[in-house]
Amino acid sequence: MILLRRYGTLLALALIIVIFAIASPHAFGTVANLVNITQQMALLAIVAIGATLVMVLGEFDLSVSSVVSWAGIASVALFGTGLGLPAVIALVLVSSLLMGSISGFLVARFSVPSFIATLAFGTVIGGFTFWVSNGATLFSGIPPAFRDLGRGMILGIPVPTLWLAGVAVIFWLLLDQTEFGRRLYAIGGNREAARLVGLPVRRDMVVAFALCAGLSGLAGLLLTARLGSAHPTGGGGYLLQAYAAVFLGMTAFREGEPSIPGTLVGAAIIAVISNGLTILGVPSFLQDVMTGAIILAAVLIRHFGRDGD
Amino acid sequence: MTEASGTGPFLALSGLIRHFGATKALDGADLVIEAGSVHALVGENGAGKSTLIKTLSGLYQPGGGSIRLDGADIAIDGPKAAEALGFRFIHQELNLVPHFDAVGNAWIGRRHPRRGPFLDHRAMRRRVAEIAARIAPDLPLDRPAIRLTPGQRQMAEIVRALIEPARLVVMDEPTSSLSEGEAERLHKVVRRLAEEGTAVLFISHRLDEVLELCGSYTVLRNGRTVGAGPIAGIDRAGLVALMSGGASDHAAVDPMRDRSAPPAGRSERPGALFSADLAFGPANARFTLEARPGEIIGLYGLVGSGRSSLLKILWGASVARGTITIAGRKLVGGPADRIRKGIAYVPEDRRREGFAATLSIEDNLALAHLADFRAVAAVPISSRGKIRQFAAGVGARLRLVAARLDRSPMTLSGGNQQKLVFGRWLGRTIRVLLVDEPTRGVDVGAKAEIHAEMRRIAAESASVIMATSDIEELLALSDRVLVLQTGRLIAELGGTTLTRSAVVAAAFGHAPSPSGPAVPRPSEEFIA
Repeated sequence: MILLRRYGTLLALALIIVIFAIASPHAFGTVANLVNITQQMALLAIVAIGATLVMVLGEFDLSVSSVVSWAGIASVALFGTGLGLPAVIALVLVSSLLMGSISGFLVARFSVPSFIATLAFGTVIGGFTFWVSNGATLFSGIPPAFRDLGRGMILGIPVPTLWLAGVAVIFWLLLDQTEFGRRLYAIGGNREAARLVGLPVRRDMVVAFALCAGLSGLAGLLLTARLGSAHPTGGGGYLLQAYAAVFLGMTAFREGEPSIPGTLVGAAIIAVISNGLTILGVPSFLQDVMTGAIILAAVLIRHFGRDGD
Repeated sequence: MTEASGTGPFLALSGLIRHFGATKALDGADLVIEAGSVHALVGENGAGKSTLIKTLSGLYQPGGGSIRLDGADIAIDGPKAAEALGFRFIHQELNLVPHFDAVGNAWIGRRHPRRGPFLDHRAMRRRVAEIAARIAPDLPLDRPAIRLTPGQRQMAEIVRALIEPARLVVMDEPTSSLSEGEAERLHKVVRRLAEEGTAVLFISHRLDEVLELCGSYTVLRNGRTVGAGPIAGIDRAGLVALMSGGASDHAAVDPMRDRSAPPAGRSERPGALFSADLAFGPANARFTLEARPGEIIGLYGLVGSGRSSLLKILWGASVARGTITIAGRKLVGGPADRIRKGIAYVPEDRRREGFAATLSIEDNLALAHLADFRAVAAVPISSRGKIRQFAAGVGARLRLVAARLDRSPMTLSGGNQQKLVFGRWLGRTIRVLLVDEPTRGVDVGAKAEIHAEMRRIAAESASVIMATSDIEELLALSDRVLVLQTGRLIAELGGTTLTRSAVVAAAFGHAPSPSGPAVPRPSEEFIA
């Protein structure tokens, strides 16, 4: 029972994999498919890692999907102006970081509730993206070198998976092993106490929001590279799934706090369910029903598990 | 309220047991309360007082023992049941809805008077006003709780407790956040409750208050009742001996220090180490302060006098209108800059301002100067080992009682939480210590340890500026006392002029102040 309470979410992930593997041993339960799942979860997990930073502060950033879409449209539009690959990537990432900084500044400096600030600012970004793209899907002028950033394999590992691994390691170190990470948890735990012991609360909050948007921007670039095109609402699906991953992740380990390993578990659960149900031929609306139900179940198990503590 | 008289005690708990894992929070606790009495429940932090109260309020079910009300065995299976029995609880952390006024707060969770489907605001107010007239006639009924003083909030809680007939009112440290004057008013209310036949269970660390106010007492130690009886049969030393386990080397309050001898370091270095010249308070009055190395300056005043805001300004957490200097150099910037210059600050409200519950005890200790714990000086990555070592050192020095230092501070008792907030500054050179309510809600042992630490810090040539509402603490520690009234410095007392009566008189505005005669304040006034 204690094991179930402590590691229930991890066990659930294992259980789901086993069930799908039994139901569909030749399609789901293959190494190739499991590797494929890591690729499918990669972009979602990168966005979710950004969301984790902000959640550690006890805040929300609802503009993540707008920034994903923006990054895609912006990159293709910039390629259209003849700029080179490094310049495009740098410009897109800087613009994303800047967007996050603005959200973070609104929240940290003026105490605007992050829910409202990022919802409003995300809407602004979304509108801007539509304006740049004229509402159309953009696909012309993307150099093949850029496309290679989001597809293909290196040493048998899909490139998006490698991106995810890199991002996860860096941000796990940042959140778990650096002073910055400790400060974020302290600010999220008690902002007033953090301020009174002299932590740079506002600066850290702005940086966390900026990094969150930066990761969304990276995901947008990788998405565009993988698809070879960008749509002004291309990132739309990531918002809810990213936060679902963070919440699932918070149930994964005992502390009940957002963490990078937890978020990875959460993203894996979402990706495995989606992949497994698709292989089993379950219609996509039923997939949504099941994904939502599983998230609710995980949170409830956690809640009831807590009573005994 | 009348039926209980005559036949034995109104409420008798006996042999209560409650274990949390291996911890015995209650281990055979007894408590007998007579109807219409004011009964003191005392004990060090962690003695089991909170658990006992939670058992009474139905939040915990006892693992053994009995609860008898009017001579009949009862079980209290939840807060609703406790409420129905007429038990009311006024917790240390007040539970008012900030934006509701006293009327709105009084009816929360109760069956509101209604007219058809709508709230009958007039009837709600009438009932509250009746009770307030009896108990706290000057409580503003239409002001949101957030704008009431702590004393008024306390009154609002009591009024709320009496909306429906109450037989027992439990007050947990009700005076810990009140100034002397407000505490006295609360005492009056408590006596009035008792006269009306309501029993009051009064929990306080202020033993003088207990001796003056209560008629009987129960002392808990390690979850067990170690003494009980009429207050008339015991004195302060006796209570302390019971609380601390016989040995009275654990003095409840440090003996008044000999003020004729100058504190160490003071005579050699007479210049001011830390000074402030500010426009302060609602009147923008000039406030100046010069703290010399080695001296402890006490800030005293009623709640609302500005003690805490003043410390926050000195700490750089609020905007200063004026200049603050350390060793002649002007201070700019916020707390981080103050920390670098050797200034330390212990906030008033440890839970709200002192620590993050999401971090471990050791991380909270390290938080104020994370850069000191790097494995490699240039890389902002903490060495877990260094943090552990620091935390263990602080723990040993302050006798921090913690099961594990890598757990949340919420696993600590109040006194140990206070040691944590205090202890984060140890191990660095402190030049100026700003401390707001150093020992609020802290048991006698922890209090003595914190006091000793403050004296030691001062003895190492630091200036200590301490705000406190505990007048005994003020007198025991301070070399000089500054008395504030609504942000105005109205008296400076030191040497032979520093006496209890002088401090109280100044705080209430009856002191002859250098800037002309002070205006006598109406006794019922609260400063908002």
